[in-house]
Amino acid sequence: MKYTEFKELVMTAAKAGGLTEYELYAEESETISAETLGHEISAFSSGNVTGACFRCISQGKIGYASTELYTASEAERLVHDAMENAAILETEGEAYIHEPGDDYVKVEAPAVTVPSAQELTDLAVKIVEASYAADSRIIDSSQSSTLFKQSRTYLSNSKGLDLARENAYTMASSYPIAQDGEEMFSGFDTKAGDYHNLDPQAIAQKGVEDAVSQIGAKAVPTGIYDVMFSNHVTAMLLGCYLSVFSAESAQKGMSRLGGKEGETVASPCVTLTDDPFCKESLNKIAFDGEGVATRYKDVVKDGKLVTLLHNLTTAHKAGVPSTGNGVKAGYAAPVSIQPYNFYMQKGGGGTTEEMFAHLGDGIYITELNGMHAGANPVTGDFSLASAGFLVKDGKKGGPVKNFTVSGNFYQLLKDIVLVGDDWELRPPMRGGACYGGPSFIVREMSIGGK
Amino acid sequence: MISKALLTRVLEKALSTGADFAEVYVEHTKENDIAMIDNKVDSITNRLISGVGMRIFQGTRCVTASCTSLGEDDLLACAGRMADALGSVPANRTVRLTERLFGDVHPIRIVPQDVSLKTKTDLLKEGYFAAKNYHQDISQVKANLLDVDHQILIANSDGLYAQDRQIRTRMTVNAFASRNGETQSGSCSPGRKMGLELFDRISPKSIGEEAARQALVMLSAGYIKAGRMPVAIENGFGGVIFHEACGHSLEASSVAPGQSQFCGKLGQQIANPKLTAIDDGTIPNAWGSVNIDDEGTPAQRKVLIENGILKSYMVDKLNGRRMGMESTGSSRRQGYLFDPTSRMTNTFIANGPDRNEDIISSIEYGLYAKAMGGGSVNPVTGAFNFSVREGYIIRDGKICEPVRGASLIGKGSEIIMDIDMIGNNLDTAQGMCGASSGSIPTEVGQPLIRVASITVGGR
Repeated sequence: MKYTEFKELVMTAAKAGGLTEYELYAEESETISAETLGHEISAFSSGNVTGACFRCISQGKIGYASTELYTASEAERLVHDAMENAAILETEGEAYIHEPGDDYVKVEAPAVTVPSAQELTDLAVKIVEASYAADSRIIDSSQSSTLFKQSRTYLSNSKGLDLARENAYTMASSYPIAQDGEEMFSGFDTKAGDYHNLDPQAIAQKGVEDAVSQIGAKAVPTGIYDVMFSNHVTAMLLGCYLSVFSAESAQKGMSRLGGKEGETVASPCVTLTDDPFCKESLNKIAFDGEGVATRYKDVVKDGKLVTLLHNLTTAHKAGVPSTGNGVKAGYAAPVSIQPYNFYMQKGGGGTTEEMFAHLGDGIYITELNGMHAGANPVTGDFSLASAGFLVKDGKKGGPVKNFTVSGNFYQLLKDIVLVGDDWELRPPMRGGACYGGPSFIVREMSIGGK
Repeated sequence: MISKALLTRVLEKALSTGADFAEVYVEHTKENDIAMIDNKVDSITNRLISGVGMRIFQGTRCVTASCTSLGEDDLLACAGRMADALGSVPANRTVRLTERLFGDVHPIRIVPQDVSLKTKTDLLKEGYFAAKNYHQDISQVKANLLDVDHQILIANSDGLYAQDRQIRTRMTVNAFASRNGETQSGSCSPGRKMGLELFDRISPKSIGEEAARQALVMLSAGYIKAGRMPVAIENGFGGVIFHEACGHSLEASSVAPGQSQFCGKLGQQIANPKLTAIDDGTIPNAWGSVNIDDEGTPAQRKVLIENGILKSYMVDKLNGRRMGMESTGSSRRQGYLFDPTSRMTNTFIANGPDRNEDIISSIEYGLYAKAMGGGSVNPVTGAFNFSVREGYIIRDGKICEPVRGASLIGKGSEIIMDIDMIGNNLDTAQGMCGASSGSIPTEVGQPLIRVASITVGGR
C-alpha cells in the first residue's frame, strides 16, 4: 500500500476513534551506496525505507505509535496504541497540534544530479585509487565509500496542515590507512553535495594527509598547555553538547543555561548560530517535526545567551514562541529539540596558520574520541582521548597522540580567548543536523599524557 | 512473515546473474520504550519495524539491498536490483529450502507484549522513585523501560530456512545530584534476553538506588589529577576495557581487510599469560546471546585468547571467505536496514589466579575504577578510550577518596600485555555496541583486574 492510501486509512480511523487533534508524520528514502576494499568494489547496496508515526491528543496528553507496515490493520493499530499510550502518560496540558498559518521560507528543491550505480561505484574506485597514488605508504587495506540518498518527509494534521519536503545528496568518503613499520595510521575525509561537485582527487588527498600526518606521533608529557581546537573539533563539541542549548534540558534541570537568557554565558568573542537555511549546508529545512516554521537565530551573541532552542511544549511553558526546533530524530522518535545547522561564527583570529601564531606554544587538537562516554552533556565535564600537533613559536610542529584533554564545557565557553576565521560546516551528523565553526584558542587546559 | 515459495523465488531471482550465494533476512520487531522524567511518565515510544534485507555474494564481492515492503513485486524488484548490480551473466539455479529448528535456550516466562502498560509503568516508577527519594540532593531522574520483541527469518541459497525470536528487556535509571550549582550523574541499566521476569531477579528499586548512590558519591568527589598510573578496574562493566582494547580488533570485519593490530597473530602471545578471554553467544538469557546469528549459524562459545595466546577471531560468512575461515556464528545486524558483519556477543575475561585484596594492596598510588562508562576504539591504530563513572584514589594499598572526571586511554595491543593481575569475581554487564552493522546488545565482563600502567585523563 502507498503512503497516501495509508494516510487516508489512519486519518479515517482517528476520526472514527473520536479524536479531534492528531497528526501523521512520515519519512521515506531511497539510498544506494558502494564501498571499496583494495582496488575493487567490495560491496554495493540499495535500500528503500518508509515509516510513519501517528500522534494524537487524547485526554489532554499526546500518544505516539509508529509503523513500517502500511496495511489496514496497522492503520487501526496505530490509532488504538497511540490512544492507549496517551492514557498512561502523566503530562497533561503539555501537548500541541500546530495550526496552519506560519510563514514558511520557500526552500528550493535541491537541483541534485542522481548518479547512476555505475557513476557511484566509479567515484568510489577513483577515490581509493587516488589515495594509493598520493603516497606510497598507503596500504591495500584502505577503503572508500560513496552514497546517494533522496528522502521525503510528510506532515499532515487534523487542523489542516499538510506539509512536505525533500532532500537529496551524494556523499563520498575516504578511509586511507598508512603503514610505517609495524604501526598503522587511519585517515578520513568526507564531503557531501551534488555528485558533479565532488572531487575524488581532493577527498583522497585530504584523507591521505590526515593519515600520513600522524606518522611518528609522539606522546606528550602530562601538564597544563595552551590549546587550539581545530574547526572540526569545534563542530564535534557543539554536536556533543547540543542539549546544553535545549530548553527541554533546561526546563528539566539538565542544562545550566536555564533562565540565563540575557546573561553572559561565554567569552565575548563567541557567537553561536542555528541557521536552517545556511547556504553551505545540504540540510535546508523550512518546517520542524511539529510543522512549525523554522528560522535563523543567534543562540549566543557576543557571549550573551539570546535564546534557548524551543519546541511547542517548551515554548508554551516559557511563554515564548517556538524557535522551530521541535525535531524528531527519525520518524518514530518523540518530538525533541535539535538545531539544523549549528555553528560558531568567525571571530577575527585569521587563518589556521595565523591562529598558530596567536597560540605561540601549545597543542593543536584535531581529533577527539569517545565523546559519547567521556563528555557528560549534563554536568559539562569532559575528559577525552585526543590527537593533534605541537605548536612551537607560532608554527605547527610534529604530531602528538594518546593524550587526554579535560575540562568543563560551560567553563570552556567562557575561557575562549580567540576565535579564528577558518570556518567550516561539517556534513550531517547522526540525527541529521550539521555542526561547524572556526578553530579557537583556550589557555591553560589540563592534558594527560606520558 | 513471507511464504517459503516466495522466498525461494526471491533467492532464485537474486542468483540469476551469476552470484554463488544468496540470502534473505526478514525482520519483524516490536519495540516499546516508556520514559519518565520530572516525576512523570513523559513519553511512550511504540514502533513496529518490518522489512527485508538481502545479500548476494560472488566470491568476496557482496551486493545488498533492503526494502520496507513485504509485497511480492517489491521483493522481486529488490532481488532484481541486486542481480543487475552484480553483472549480466545469465544463470539459472534452483533453490530448495529446508527448515531447520535450532531450538531456543532462552526461555521467556513473561512476554512483555502481553503485559499491560500499567504493570510496566508501575515497575518503572518503582525504579524511578527509588532514585528520586534516595536523598534530598537528587535533583532529577530519567528512567526508561525498554522491551524488544525481535523476530527474524533467514533463508539462503544453501537451502537454510531458520527463524529466531529474540526478546529482551532493560531498565535504565539516570540520576542527577545537585548541590551549590554543581551537578553530577549516576547510572544503572541492567538488561537481559528475558521478559519481565528480569525484575524478579533484579528489583527496580535496586536499580534506582544504585544510580542515585553513584551520583551522590560523585557529587562529593574531587577531580583526579592526570598522569600515568596503575589502575584496578572492577568487575562487570569494567570488561569494557577488553571489549574496546581488544574485542573489536578480533572481529573479522577488522581482520579480513587487514585493518587490525592482531592480523596474522593466531597462535601468538598477544596478551599477558594470565589472560583468557571468551566470546560466548550461548549463555541462556544473557543480554548478548542469540540462538542463531543473523546469517542463521548457531551461536558458539569461542575462546578468543587462552593464557595470552590468540586462539580465534570472530568470523561471519563474507569475511570468512576473505580469510579462508568458517563462520563462528558471529554475524550480527541491528535489523534489515544494516548489512551484517562480525560482532561480539557476550565477551569477557575469565577469572584469574589473583586474590582481589592482593590487587588493591599491590598499588601504592593509583586509581580504583569501580564503575565504568562507555568507550570507543579505532581498530586500525588500536587507540582506545573509555570513561570512569565512579573512581577512587588508591593510596598505600587502600581505597581512599572518590574522584571524578577520569578517563583511561591507551593502545589495545599494549594494554592487554599490561593486564598483569586478574582476580576471581567475574561478573558481566550490559551495553549497546555501535558499529557498521548498527547498534546491537552486547555484554561485557571480567573479574577485578590490574593494569600495571595506563594514561589517566583528569585535571
